[in-house]
Amino acid sequence: MINRRQFNRTLGLGASAIAMSSLGAPAIAQRRGGDVIVATQAAPPTLDAVTSSAEASRNITLHVFETLLARDEAANVKPDLAESVDVSSDGLQYKFTLRRGVKFHNGKVMTSADVKGSLERFARVGNSRQVMAPVAAIETPDSNTVICKLSAPSPGFLEGMSSPRAPAAIVPAEEAGKAAGQMELIGTGPFRFVEFRPDSHALLRRFDDYSQNTNYQARDGFAGKKTAHFDSVRFRFMPEAGARSAGLQTGELHVLDSLDALSAQRLQSNSALKMHQMLPWAYQTLILNHSQAPMNNLKLRQAIQAALNMEEIMAISTNGLFRLEHGWQHPGTQYFAGDVGKPLYNQKNAALARRLLQESGYRNEQLTVLTDSNIGGHQATGEVAQEQLRAIGINIRLNVVDWPTAFQMRTRPEGWHIWTLQMGIEPYEGPYNVVSFFAGANPAQHARDEGIEAANTKLNTALQLADRQAAVREFQARMYDNVVAIKCGDTGRIQATRANVENYRPYRIPRMWDCWFS
Amino acid sequence: MFAFIVGRILAAIPVLVIVSLLTFVIIYFVPGDVASELAGPTATPDEIEQIRDRLGLNQPFVTRLVSWYGALLQGDLGHSFLLNQTVSHAILERLPVTLSVTAYALVIVLLIGMTTGIIAAVRANTWVDQGMMGIALIGLSLPDFWLGLVMIYVFAVVLGWMPTGGYVEFSESPLGWLRMTTMPALSLALTQVGLLARMTRSGMLEVLRQDYVRTARAKGLPGWMVVGKHALANVMVQVVTVVGVSVGILLGGQIVIESVFSLPGVGRLIVGAILRRDYPVIQGGLLLTATIFVVVNLIVDLLYAYFDPRIRYGR
Repeated sequence: MINRRQFNRTLGLGASAIAMSSLGAPAIAQRRGGDVIVATQAAPPTLDAVTSSAEASRNITLHVFETLLARDEAANVKPDLAESVDVSSDGLQYKFTLRRGVKFHNGKVMTSADVKGSLERFARVGNSRQVMAPVAAIETPDSNTVICKLSAPSPGFLEGMSSPRAPAAIVPAEEAGKAAGQMELIGTGPFRFVEFRPDSHALLRRFDDYSQNTNYQARDGFAGKKTAHFDSVRFRFMPEAGARSAGLQTGELHVLDSLDALSAQRLQSNSALKMHQMLPWAYQTLILNHSQAPMNNLKLRQAIQAALNMEEIMAISTNGLFRLEHGWQHPGTQYFAGDVGKPLYNQKNAALARRLLQESGYRNEQLTVLTDSNIGGHQATGEVAQEQLRAIGINIRLNVVDWPTAFQMRTRPEGWHIWTLQMGIEPYEGPYNVVSFFAGANPAQHARDEGIEAANTKLNTALQLADRQAAVREFQARMYDNVVAIKCGDTGRIQATRANVENYRPYRIPRMWDCWFS
Repeated sequence: MFAFIVGRILAAIPVLVIVSLLTFVIIYFVPGDVASELAGPTATPDEIEQIRDRLGLNQPFVTRLVSWYGALLQGDLGHSFLLNQTVSHAILERLPVTLSVTAYALVIVLLIGMTTGIIAAVRANTWVDQGMMGIALIGLSLPDFWLGLVMIYVFAVVLGWMPTGGYVEFSESPLGWLRMTTMPALSLALTQVGLLARMTRSGMLEVLRQDYVRTARAKGLPGWMVVGKHALANVMVQVVTVVGVSVGILLGGQIVIESVFSLPGVGRLIVGAILRRDYPVIQGGLLLTATIFVVVNLIVDLLYAYFDPRIRYGR
């Protein structure tokens, strides 16, 4: 069996990591009270946390619900409602010891029965229910212990359990049996649910009986010691970017979940506002369709890879909010693969590209770049890439449609050659959903790649972290060597607050704990 | 009159059937589907197919069409794929927002449009007439969403008089409702104010040249009574025609204006449904919109009879 210390070590963490998070503890006076208003671009389709992977949903639900494990500031796995987790040496048993005395918003104390019911619900109606696929049984030997028994090792199990994408929210057992969307929104988080008006707002109030995780000294990603200072949090759903920035300027709004780079530059000198930049937030990619001639020709794909000037693509598609980064995992995370593939990234070598194009036997077949006008940066990425590839002699056209159309078209092997896609939550979660996107029965590139398959298998079966890290390095090498897909660069996001919102720190959602009005 | 109303209602049925059929066919053939939205960007085609099966999207066209009409005949608009509520509930929840802002905008259109048109006609060919018609033309030419954004900047950001957006129910706070809906209603109304003002002016100019108006003036009636009672009554048929068209445009304009001012109305519901391919909501929303248009046209026809006794419907 692996104890908690070993678990943390396995994840590349340790006591030092927890202690580091406490360095962020504020030295200034904390003030309790006030009603904070957060504006978000999209309205959530549902607030039943497990059922939705929408960012608009988790913006709200992660204030209300908590999970056994959560991600820290650097996206590493940390205990949250669990006190610890012991993993058996064969990787088939995960024993979660629960924190004692944690209260739900209805006053009930959380027990293993609630956790069991919640995990079963996660497996039944969860948007990320594939995480639970290897779980053969969930046992509750006592009120404070939950054991997940797996039918086969699943090294990504804890990463999946701790992901905020469609979080494995722990809810009271009596709610856990209910169908998707039918549950009372009762969690253990620092804020409790009050009201949801579709397309208008959601209102949360501070949960005064909140059970803080005293194993930490301060907030740490979605884990840590969370302290709610605001009396209430109102999330307003405002689709118009101009109205959101205007609302922040007037003081009608206190926090924006995102502000475009140009508006941020315009408002930079406004002393009543603070801009908070997150970089990386996501990365921009070009997915290549290997099933269609001439894209099934490696030389042609190499020519494309050699031709692209990523600085130009990223600067135009992000209005300057980017960094050039080749890694398919973010630097600073435990699966970052170092310089693997770096020489092949951002070559902007037109002469080499033309030579490779000639060697490929390319006969002026028309390529189609599939893109959409809905998701930020997609269309501009497609347009700039199109011009750069046209400059080396590729006959290429752009097909701009709306996001649902593009998304459906890319599932078919015909009709497109290059598809623009921004990946955000996937690399944040770690390597599993990134690697699997290019593996399995339906890989994104529409052609089985043995190198990617081998890396995916190793990633999903190796019990040692070092072996899984090696798998990610092999994956990244293959991505560049075989030009499976092309990474353009990392994009950022700007969150904005009024200047009187103290101790705010940007993250995957606008966290309204551990910050307050001055 | 009763027979006329019944006749018009019956005549509306094929219109609604054709609209609903067209909506269904267009949505059926538009690429992209809600299963992709539900499955997420990294979902495999198999996962998407499973969701399509669950939602019944893999059924043949005729099966889906028959199923939809069957439910519709029982007053069931279906269940939203994404909102976890029935389409009827989703629409009814948002309808008061859309209707109240439209009504508010209509009041502005009538008050300002008619007044401006009448004054311009009475002061025809003076600087008052030229000035008012010039302003009306500008109002008519400005896109409502642009006007909305400019209003937000001027009245919310610079002057701080108005909120940037949002909605409060009238029953909750009448003053709050007024504050929240004034700028959206004005943005919608100003284009139609220009239209109505110009139509009222031309109608009024024509009427003011009629013999009965000259007679009224000759027998010593005050000017306001000649214009406000005798002339205006005869312009109302034209006004009602324009207002009927304007209501449709105001409703259509809500689709954009509700997003600009963060109003939780039916327009935003339909836009969201289109972007996510929530078919039942799109169909239900468009059917509702078509129904409102039919009802508005019916009311316009009835008002014709009220304002012009020469019109004898059904005879």
